[in-house]
Amino acid sequence: MKIARLALWLLQRERTLKGMNASGEWRVLLLALIIGVGSVSTTGFLGDRLERAMSEQGAGFLGADLLVTSPRPIDAWPAATALTTSHALEFPSMLARGDAFQLVTLRAVEATYPLRGNVRIADRPFAADTVRPAQPPPGTIYVAPDLLPLLSAKVGDRVQIGEAHFTIAGIVTEEPGQLGGVFGLAPRVFMRADDVAKTRVLQPGSRVTYLYQFAGDAAQIAAFGAALKPRLDSTQRLIGSREGVETLHGAFANTDRYIQLTALISLLLSVVAIAIAAHRHALRHYDQAALLRCLGATTAQLRTLYAVQLLTLGLLGSLAGIVIGALMQQALASLVLPDTVARLPTLGFAPVGVAIASGLLALAGASLPALMRLIRVSPLRVLRRDLPPLPLGAWISTVVSGSALLLLIAWYADDVRLVGVFVGALAGLVLVLVLLARLALAAGRSIQKMSHGPLRFGLAQLLRHRFDSTLQLGAFTLALFLVALLALVRSDLIASWRQQLPPQAPNYFLVNIAPGQQQAVAAYLSQHRLKASALYPMVRGRLITKNGAPIASTLPPDARDNNSLRRELNLTWTATLPANNVVLAGHWHSSPSGDGDRRVAAPVKGTPAGAPARGTPPDTRPSGGPGAAPLLRSDPSAEISVESGMATRLHLAIGDQLGFQVGDQTLTARITSLRSVKWDSMQPNFFVIFAPGQLDHLPASFIASVYVPPAAVGALPGFVKAFPGITVLALDKLIANIEAVFDQIIGAIQLLLGFLLAAGMAVVVATLLASLDARQQEAVLLRTLGAQRAYLAKSLWSEFLALGLLAGLLASACAEIAMALIADRLFELPARLHPWLWLVLPLAGALLVGMSGWLTTRHITRVPPMQAIRALN
Amino acid sequence: MTPPGNALFPDTVVLARNLSQRVPTADGMLDILSEVGLAVKAGETLAITGASGSGKSTLLGLLAGLDQPSSGTVELLGQRLDTLDEDARARLRAGRIGFVFQSFQLLPALTARENILLPLELAGRPDAHERASYWLDRVGLATRATHTPNQLSGGEQQRVAIARAFATDPEIVFADEPTGNLDADTGAHIIELLFGLNASAHTTLILVTHDDVLASRCQRRLHLVAGRVREEAIA
Repeated sequence: MKIARLALWLLQRERTLKGMNASGEWRVLLLALIIGVGSVSTTGFLGDRLERAMSEQGAGFLGADLLVTSPRPIDAWPAATALTTSHALEFPSMLARGDAFQLVTLRAVEATYPLRGNVRIADRPFAADTVRPAQPPPGTIYVAPDLLPLLSAKVGDRVQIGEAHFTIAGIVTEEPGQLGGVFGLAPRVFMRADDVAKTRVLQPGSRVTYLYQFAGDAAQIAAFGAALKPRLDSTQRLIGSREGVETLHGAFANTDRYIQLTALISLLLSVVAIAIAAHRHALRHYDQAALLRCLGATTAQLRTLYAVQLLTLGLLGSLAGIVIGALMQQALASLVLPDTVARLPTLGFAPVGVAIASGLLALAGASLPALMRLIRVSPLRVLRRDLPPLPLGAWISTVVSGSALLLLIAWYADDVRLVGVFVGALAGLVLVLVLLARLALAAGRSIQKMSHGPLRFGLAQLLRHRFDSTLQLGAFTLALFLVALLALVRSDLIASWRQQLPPQAPNYFLVNIAPGQQQAVAAYLSQHRLKASALYPMVRGRLITKNGAPIASTLPPDARDNNSLRRELNLTWTATLPANNVVLAGHWHSSPSGDGDRRVAAPVKGTPAGAPARGTPPDTRPSGGPGAAPLLRSDPSAEISVESGMATRLHLAIGDQLGFQVGDQTLTARITSLRSVKWDSMQPNFFVIFAPGQLDHLPASFIASVYVPPAAVGALPGFVKAFPGITVLALDKLIANIEAVFDQIIGAIQLLLGFLLAAGMAVVVATLLASLDARQQEAVLLRTLGAQRAYLAKSLWSEFLALGLLAGLLASACAEIAMALIADRLFELPARLHPWLWLVLPLAGALLVGMSGWLTTRHITRVPPMQAIRALN
Repeated sequence: MTPPGNALFPDTVVLARNLSQRVPTADGMLDILSEVGLAVKAGETLAITGASGSGKSTLLGLLAGLDQPSSGTVELLGQRLDTLDEDARARLRAGRIGFVFQSFQLLPALTARENILLPLELAGRPDAHERASYWLDRVGLATRATHTPNQLSGGEQQRVAIARAFATDPEIVFADEPTGNLDADTGAHIIELLFGLNASAHTTLILVTHDDVLASRCQRRLHLVAGRVREEAIA
């Protein structure tokens, strides 16, 4: 206890030191800790609030004890008489009010929906809401609050969905399963299940999700779930209330993961700063430790003394970091979940423990090696300046603490593999940065030789402290690089992608066109001089077998989770290779057989064929509706063409026989060609194209893309009125929505990059402090030899400005390379230089490093030489 | 040189037998001390003198238990140091041994009074604060109690260090070149203070110096040449 008191007393007294003896390392250590803990607790607090929001609602979050989703109706169920059930449909459609129209997600519910939890309805925006049945009165709908401004509508207005008219009867303020924020692109509308038919929106091929809710006794639910699970295929999902929470949390976690990793980089940079500061602290306290040993302090007492000091600092830094994290998470929540933030629960205590553990682990991992040397110092040091070698225990403690830190990171990221990749990538990046830093410093040597006066001396300092300079350059370059990269991705990449689209590229998709509407649609478009692609037939089917074996069993474990296996594919057929497709292997379909091509893509204008691509509109579904085709017989000679990327992911090759489940029918076909597809052509694109003859007896809907010039946008309301069942998707709006989501996520990450920049500066300051004594000695020598203060000041500025400039240049180079890679690989855009980057980053680097460097070292130019000599002695 | 057996020196507080210290160097092993033996009685004052590099400070470190010899034994306050580990030696020093160093070794963060308080706190003395104030007054620095070392002159810093050494009522005070960093006048004052306090506290004083004036104030002198005792004179 007395030692603990002594430890706190000594720590408190350290705080009062000023000038040459000031223990700046404590401050840097504390600052770095605050930055590191602040960054991880920001994300920790928000993640905890989200999880509690979902967990506390339990089954209410899911709306049921058990939920089954399916792209088609399920008729056969296990016996479960004691369970209460509720069915609902969810599908996209157009909602029109006058000339305004908007894509919405309709949820058609029965009176019993939801079985668990509540739906709250308000009579007007921002008015008090009440719990009400989710099923609106006949002829009315409830809408999400963000729909009203999009249509300039208010409660009580009449709107049209398909061929039916409805009155907006209220605003949905809360519903089960609602996460809100960045994940909903089309506003939600509740309608009665028995009102769906009169809209005539659904037809064979329409995309619908069937929701089946169950509630009841836990044991019965468990038995029912167990009996049902084997009957479901890969496109159907069974979700318990716990899985529901995890699934939706997982959806956020995908976004959250990048935010978390940004926070973790800050934490790791902070650890570097802490390690450097702790090392300097140990160096400066060997004499103190040796004196205490002389005065009778045992190893245990010294261990207690420094552990108490470390723990105190760890707790102080962690608590300060937690306070900052608590403030920052609110800002982060406003960015990521603007609509939900007000309904999130208050801050929880769980992240506090994690944040403190993170802080203490980071502090221990970074500073134990230095402190182990400190407590093992020989008392003889008071007579001789010997230092003990680094004891084995210090390395063990580093390994243990480092491992604990990595485990903590893995726990944060909730993905060991991701952390492995992350740590590996970071290590690779650090190696590259170290190499670049060394090359830059080598180049700096030539400049130094040509320079004169303070500049020469300043650059010499930079080159002399090569290890420190490399560390500073690496840390600060990393921070600047990441900041610049995100800024470029946010501001530049999507804009560039949009600019490179052909001026008359299709900007609208028409989805859900019934076979009988083909001619009328073509006529309407022609009448308004709108240039459309072909109308493409489309049925939906699931890939189930390859060469007679279940497709999943033919794949290595890591490829079995492919998205193409978890959803129904949009299948089309055509005799002609689509314009934006190139056959890479095999041969295109041979001549169509029989009358199979009678319903092949019917060109309105332009070229035929193609298929919905990434970002293209929701597709339609084939069977199960009126007029379903008779059972198809498999035709082993039937030909299909597969997109080359899908073929690679699913290990498919020419000659493979693929089996598809279309509705309740199966059919097989042989791969005869592999195609590349230009996905950003804005034409419908397809992964799988059949030769005519196999699918054309199935009920299908049609899809087309169309270019609507700004002057002709006025024709669209008329189109929606004329064809209320057809979904009109504005690509501009979709892209704008994606950009908005992108902006929110990147904005959130940029918020955390503030921590990263601060951590980078902490590394710079820590390394400067570590070299402060040597710098002081050199300054004293120079002052004694007649150098003026201005000379010293100029040399310091030269050093730090050069360091910042170099970091900025390296970061610019890294950002350009990364941008070129992203543009090429993800957006298929040509690389281009960003000249402003090469100006802004070096200037920002010079300013930030210059200021932090000068503020850290300026006093060495002000202390009189005699005072400095005495302090050094 | 080996002193007589312990029974012949019942008041012996420091007893060294055949003390040698060898260290590895690039050119092989270097003998810093060879076969040194000595006995110091309670209340005695002993000066260890010799040229730079003769092994004076090494011998002081071995006698005070700050280091371990390559061979030979040291008995300090009745305890064989070679039978004690580092922590046991530290416990032996706590409160019973005082130190004065050439470079003062004051903690820069602490005030003059707090530096004196430090060993008292470490020894767990309940009257630590009173004793610190008392000893600060004894060395004439009562008015500088709140000054930190960098606000004190060299002589003042050494007076604080002396007060710190005597504050725990030690049985032995080891001093390593206590006037080495001071000018002649200040050094003389420090010598007076050190010997005055030693006399009044009846403490054993073992000091290392190359200052003949200082050495002459001691009852005995041990002169080292290249790690060996050349002469032992009694004043």
